[in-house]
Amino acid sequence: MEIHASRNQKITGFILFGFSLFYFFSSLRLKLGTFKNPGPGLIPVAIGGFLLLCTGIYLIRVLRLKPPGEGNLAPSRRGPKNYPAIFGILGCTLAYPFLLEYGKFILSTFAIAYLMLAFLKPSRTLFPFFLALGMAVGSFLVFSRFLGVALPSGFLEDFLFRIGG
Amino acid sequence: MLEISQSLLHGFSLALSPLYLYYALIGAILGTIVGVLPGLGPLGAMAILLSFTLKLDATGAMILFAGIYYGAMYGGSTTSILLNIPGEAASVVTCIDGYQMAQKGRAGAALTVSAVGSFIAGTISILGLMGVALFLADIALRFGPPEFFAIGVCGLALLVRLSEGSPLQAVIMILLGMALATVGVDFLTGIERFTFGIQELGQGIDFLPVAMGIFGIAEVLTTVEQKEFIRPAQKVKLRELLPTRQEWKRSFPPMFRGSFLGFIIGLVPGPSPVIATFVSYITEKRLSPTPEDFGKGAIEGVAGPESANNAAVGGAYVPLFALGIPFTPAMAIVLGTLMLHGLTPGPNLIQTKPDLFWTVIASMYIGNFMLLVLNLPLVNVFVAILKVPQNILLPVIVLICLIGVYTVNSSSLDLLMLAVFGFVGYALRGVGFQAAPLILAMVIGPMLETSLRQSMNITGGNLSGMILRPICLAMYILVSLTFLLPLVRKCIRRSPNKFQSPDKQGGNSAP
Repeated sequence: MEIHASRNQKITGFILFGFSLFYFFSSLRLKLGTFKNPGPGLIPVAIGGFLLLCTGIYLIRVLRLKPPGEGNLAPSRRGPKNYPAIFGILGCTLAYPFLLEYGKFILSTFAIAYLMLAFLKPSRTLFPFFLALGMAVGSFLVFSRFLGVALPSGFLEDFLFRIGG
Repeated sequence: MLEISQSLLHGFSLALSPLYLYYALIGAILGTIVGVLPGLGPLGAMAILLSFTLKLDATGAMILFAGIYYGAMYGGSTTSILLNIPGEAASVVTCIDGYQMAQKGRAGAALTVSAVGSFIAGTISILGLMGVALFLADIALRFGPPEFFAIGVCGLALLVRLSEGSPLQAVIMILLGMALATVGVDFLTGIERFTFGIQELGQGIDFLPVAMGIFGIAEVLTTVEQKEFIRPAQKVKLRELLPTRQEWKRSFPPMFRGSFLGFIIGLVPGPSPVIATFVSYITEKRLSPTPEDFGKGAIEGVAGPESANNAAVGGAYVPLFALGIPFTPAMAIVLGTLMLHGLTPGPNLIQTKPDLFWTVIASMYIGNFMLLVLNLPLVNVFVAILKVPQNILLPVIVLICLIGVYTVNSSSLDLLMLAVFGFVGYALRGVGFQAAPLILAMVIGPMLETSLRQSMNITGGNLSGMILRPICLAMYILVSLTFLLPLVRKCIRRSPNKFQSPDKQGGNSAP
């Protein structure tokens, strides 16, 4: 686990340094102005410069990290990580805006709720199915009817809205 | 004085309206639930509910958030005492003696002392908040952009020193937050910065999806990977709640000491409620005639820290109301809420929106009273919330985040931002970075940039003109001391070893 922590720190260090480089060079394209009359680029250049310096130091530090067992490592977490659930939930949050465009509110909310329930605790029973359906319909009624929020609607939503009075 | 009492009375007349009472009650209940649930802290809950507060007026939103913040401090102690599980970071210290008391059959007494202590601390800190905020806001009206820039820099520097983890990581997070705040149209020149042709980015990166992602979604992902085993809690009967006369006698002094300590620590940037509990615990142990009882169920170890964390909440509101600068991440979210409601926080806020200030203050009194009345009889109900399986609770939280973000602008980009920042928050937490400095810097960033550019204009780019003003100079000296003192202390610690006589250095010295 500790080897992973060290590897993750190195990956994070590289990503942060890459972002700093990108931000710093992008900010150089903006007008700097003068000290008397600072332009829109002055503060971003300063932030980018400091960021580059700090992420550079961080990267050097994590690259020089001692091997596991000799300290200097991030504390290891308890037990094995539940990667399917972590990436499943992340995937659901990423997919939701696209699903919402085509599947409208109830269908897309039901789909991601069902998937998240399945990722967190796989079950062969119909319980997650009905729970996800309840979450989708319940959230539609709460947000649309009680809070008056305009949600993406199709025939299902219109139907529910009509029978709801 | 008369003016203050009249304003407070007016605040009470507004806060006692059914709608605001309802918000205070909802906030108190939600806060207690959040405090009870390990993993989801007040910060996460406030971030998750941020979008829903847009349906309320600014005062209602502030009342709701104040209730959540106070409620979380109350709720956190319940699981610490009954289950040895701190609902949130500020309740960790309560576990030490609270759980030991519960093991000895004094759970009810520990819960009552904790609730009464929280109530006393809440009341004292609200009084302090009223006095200090009004005084500070009055002075701050005379501040110019250089002073505001200096205060902002000082706040961020203290945050770096007091944050968990390495200072370098905290600085990186602050710079990242400030970098995110520069995206969008420049307010002075109208020139687009870092928008890369994406029209929606012209308005800047919205605070809402970032806060909800980095706290809400990241919190869920962190909880998913930690499978906590929750042991059954013992039932607390109503008649067991009353402490003995001796227990009361031992609890009151720590309650008052904790309240004062907590309020003062609350004024300092950083995770003040957490620091306050540790300082209070150490103080009580030092002052106690029986320090050996600490860790074995000393009631002072519950009364002091529980009062301190609640008092720190009141203290944290002072810089927000008086200067418009949040010193804690939770206050950054409150500030974000005010801005989303079109209000400009700053020293003028108390004068321009007195109804908001006084109603929130009055509702804090009411919320504290509600928590005292609600929490003790309902303690078993709140503990039962822990029985809701996480595999049901977590998808509900994610759905609330997704729908909450979507309802504000109906924007798919906001939803993508939520997912991206959820992952960023989770990944950075995994390698020891704290998300709080990023959010704080994102909120303070625009204010810092504005005041710096205005200062440069005013002084004609003369740096000494910006630094050599009394308040600015004091702030920069404080910043320098914050970083220099630990270095000096390190050098002093090293020097005695260096000059130690050879015979004291061990057996390897020359004869």
